[in-house]
Amino acid sequence: MKKIIVIILTSILLNNFAIANEVNVFSSRHYESDIELYKKFTNQTGIKVNVISGKDEALQKRIIEEGTNSKADLYITSDAGNIAIFDSKGMFQNSMSPTIEKLVPSNFRNKNWVGITKRARILFYSPERVVNDDLKNLNYEDLANPKWKGRIVIRQSNNIYNQSLIASLIFNNGKETTGEWAKSIVKNMARDPKGNDRAQILAVAAGEADIAIANTYYYALMLSGNKGLEQQIAAKKVLPFFPNQNNRGTHMNISGGGILKYAPNKGSAIKLIEFLLTKEAQQHLVNNTYEYPMIEGVEPHELLKKMGTKFKQDLTTDVASYGQYQSDALEIMLNAKWK
Amino acid sequence: MGKKFNFWYISSLLISIMVAIPIITVLGSFFESTGDYYTILKNTFLTDYIYNSIFLLLGVLFLTFIIGVGCAYVVSFYTFPGVNFFKWSLILSFAVPGYIYAYSLNAFFENYGTAFTILSNLFGEGNYNAHIPKFDGILGAIIAISFSLFAYVYVLTRASFHYQSQNLIELGKNLGFSKKKSFFKIILPSARPAIVAGLSLVAMETLSDFGSVSFFGVSTLTTGIYNAWISFDDLTLANRLSSYLLIFILGLFILENISRRKAQFHTSSKGGFKSKSLIKLNGYKSFFAFTFCLIIFLISFLFPVSQMLYWTIIFPQHLANLNVGKLFYNTILLVSLSSCLLIALAFISNYGNRVSKSKFLKILNIFSISGYAIPGIILAVAFITFISWFDNQIINHFEIKSIKPFFIGSILGLVLVYFIRFYSLANNGIKSGYEKINYSIDESAYLLGYSKFKTFKNVHIPYLKNSILLISILLTIEIIKELPITLILRPFNFETFATKAYLFASQDLLEAAAAPSLLLIVIASFFILITSRYTLKE
Repeated sequence: MKKIIVIILTSILLNNFAIANEVNVFSSRHYESDIELYKKFTNQTGIKVNVISGKDEALQKRIIEEGTNSKADLYITSDAGNIAIFDSKGMFQNSMSPTIEKLVPSNFRNKNWVGITKRARILFYSPERVVNDDLKNLNYEDLANPKWKGRIVIRQSNNIYNQSLIASLIFNNGKETTGEWAKSIVKNMARDPKGNDRAQILAVAAGEADIAIANTYYYALMLSGNKGLEQQIAAKKVLPFFPNQNNRGTHMNISGGGILKYAPNKGSAIKLIEFLLTKEAQQHLVNNTYEYPMIEGVEPHELLKKMGTKFKQDLTTDVASYGQYQSDALEIMLNAKWK
Repeated sequence: MGKKFNFWYISSLLISIMVAIPIITVLGSFFESTGDYYTILKNTFLTDYIYNSIFLLLGVLFLTFIIGVGCAYVVSFYTFPGVNFFKWSLILSFAVPGYIYAYSLNAFFENYGTAFTILSNLFGEGNYNAHIPKFDGILGAIIAISFSLFAYVYVLTRASFHYQSQNLIELGKNLGFSKKKSFFKIILPSARPAIVAGLSLVAMETLSDFGSVSFFGVSTLTTGIYNAWISFDDLTLANRLSSYLLIFILGLFILENISRRKAQFHTSSKGGFKSKSLIKLNGYKSFFAFTFCLIIFLISFLFPVSQMLYWTIIFPQHLANLNVGKLFYNTILLVSLSSCLLIALAFISNYGNRVSKSKFLKILNIFSISGYAIPGIILAVAFITFISWFDNQIINHFEIKSIKPFFIGSILGLVLVYFIRFYSLANNGIKSGYEKINYSIDESAYLLGYSKFKTFKNVHIPYLKNSILLISILLTIEIIKELPITLILRPFNFETFATKAYLFASQDLLEAAAAPSLLLIVIASFFILITSRYTLKE
């Protein structure tokens, strides 16, 4: 019995009781560099940043169930659809400040949440097997063309980045058209979807396919050499291509977050968001994660610049629509037998 | 009647109820109405989920059977060079969690992976990618799970062979059987209960696996439950899937229990075991036995360890950045608190069962499979849901402070859910130890005027000292490897080796995941070595 009492007492003591000057972050971004950034914030402001990182679904479930007792102040995730859906459940509160409104383009935020970095979901092709004529004015929509049969690789339908890409297509082209498009894409796949974005790029490098659809930072990470020489060599065998340059622009997604409805430290949370949008913090983020900066006046990483910075980003599609059409996107992919 | 409801009965009852909470929560929500978010899924991929689960299960059972029984057979009946080394080194695969095995498998065989590097260094530049086999998808999951779980079959089968009262091969010889015939007609049937027990454990772990299957993108019933419940709030579908899984596992549990009973019958032969003469293998037979064991050891343990070691060496900055002391402290804190609680409560419950001799308690005890029946990730969410329901319904009525902060995101909550998850392990261990203590010993103690508590403290605990040691080490290994529960229920800024490895891996930084993975394997191996030392001595 003594043991049990000791256990209970220890646990209670170890429990995190709210300290005045702190902010609690639930994050599905698992970058070590994010933690370093939070430390910088603490050094500047004296506000301690507590972090729990995990899978989005589990973190959201926990925040919802904790309800009014939740200690979570800020929820940060790496997909606009995720944020928008959580917002539609009424889990956020007004997260805006004049500073934030001034810094962030309006399609990357709403009053309850805000984008912190950007990433593009683009094409990676084999210059040996894809000719310039094929690439001319190429749009996501054109990948449905039968000439790509057996040449495309992309990951599974349960992947959130795919769901957001397809949601953006639904927003722009309608559900029916996109449904047909998805069916054609499945026909054009070089193999059953498997692996992460990097595995798709590797498949093109290894000659399994000619075009991969993947996020920009995966490619930059391979080029950086941080994943070893072989990955660097493989990355050099494929080239990036930014689609939809003659119309709305390339599909953009965000990492971002919002202040939770029952946040005990709202003031500190706003300060943290504003800090993440400073030049210093943005530079730190893009240098370490190979994402695109959210604010003007910050240069992306050298490797991204080499991929091309002058491309046209899609600034007309409100990223909130990724949440709005997420279930339609999944439905479309499942109906197309997209694994 | 009044006498029956004493301290032991009540505590035993409470423990059983507590362990049953997640099952009750899952079944209870059957009556809640939900949306039909997943109608589309039902029309498209639901059969795939079931098919994948069955295919995965059969694949893993087949592999673990061949490897586990094969290894146990060779090291138990024959001597050949290295046999004593293989006896314990084959257990080391327990130290490698399925998800870490999956990382290694993927990293080695993927396009431009480690295999490619090795080939390029040996034979120069070339297009090797097309010729390197790809172990991913369901095949990868089967391999990762099999090699991290076969030790269950190996250990139990070996123990069964070890306790045979006579040399079965000699028996076969006397009957004029060939070696092959002896194996299939005598040896295999004699160890059947142990093999079935091992395979059922493997089956339960396979069905509730989340880490490996989600890494390889294989949709099984478990990932289906996760998606239905956690992503889409469709409790109806989640529960329907859960109940398939539950029925399946309940069947396995009953099978395992029956064979355990038989196994006891087999092993309790009175003369104990006498050391039997082992058959010495010569020539190619010896070479074959040696090679077989070596290959299994290489694939199951050395392969994942080398892959992790390789990365830790070529990317040393990741190890340098790791706060090893803190991770170690957190891991050990969880391990020690949980093992103490588990063993203490398993003891109380078993003793309660013993003194009250209640049928009701025995039946309730079946719920101790709860932890096995529900995958860790589902268990953790069920726990959060339950605490939140309890808090909203009960605590709010009394207008006292919410209990949620004490249970969700605290060490206490983590320890409690570990308790539910691993109770069956602790309970079965203590139970089998208890079954060896004759009731007459209790009677004698009472005659001597011992109270029930004194009998418990002065007679039973010393008797079961060895079982306790063994179980606590097994629990330690399991908790060190545990991932999904820790991930969702831990307090702020709290990392273990497992969560650290997972978080890096999910960011596609397997190189960085290598250092915490390697340390996790080293620590778990250390405990396994103690266990095997101890069991071999026994």
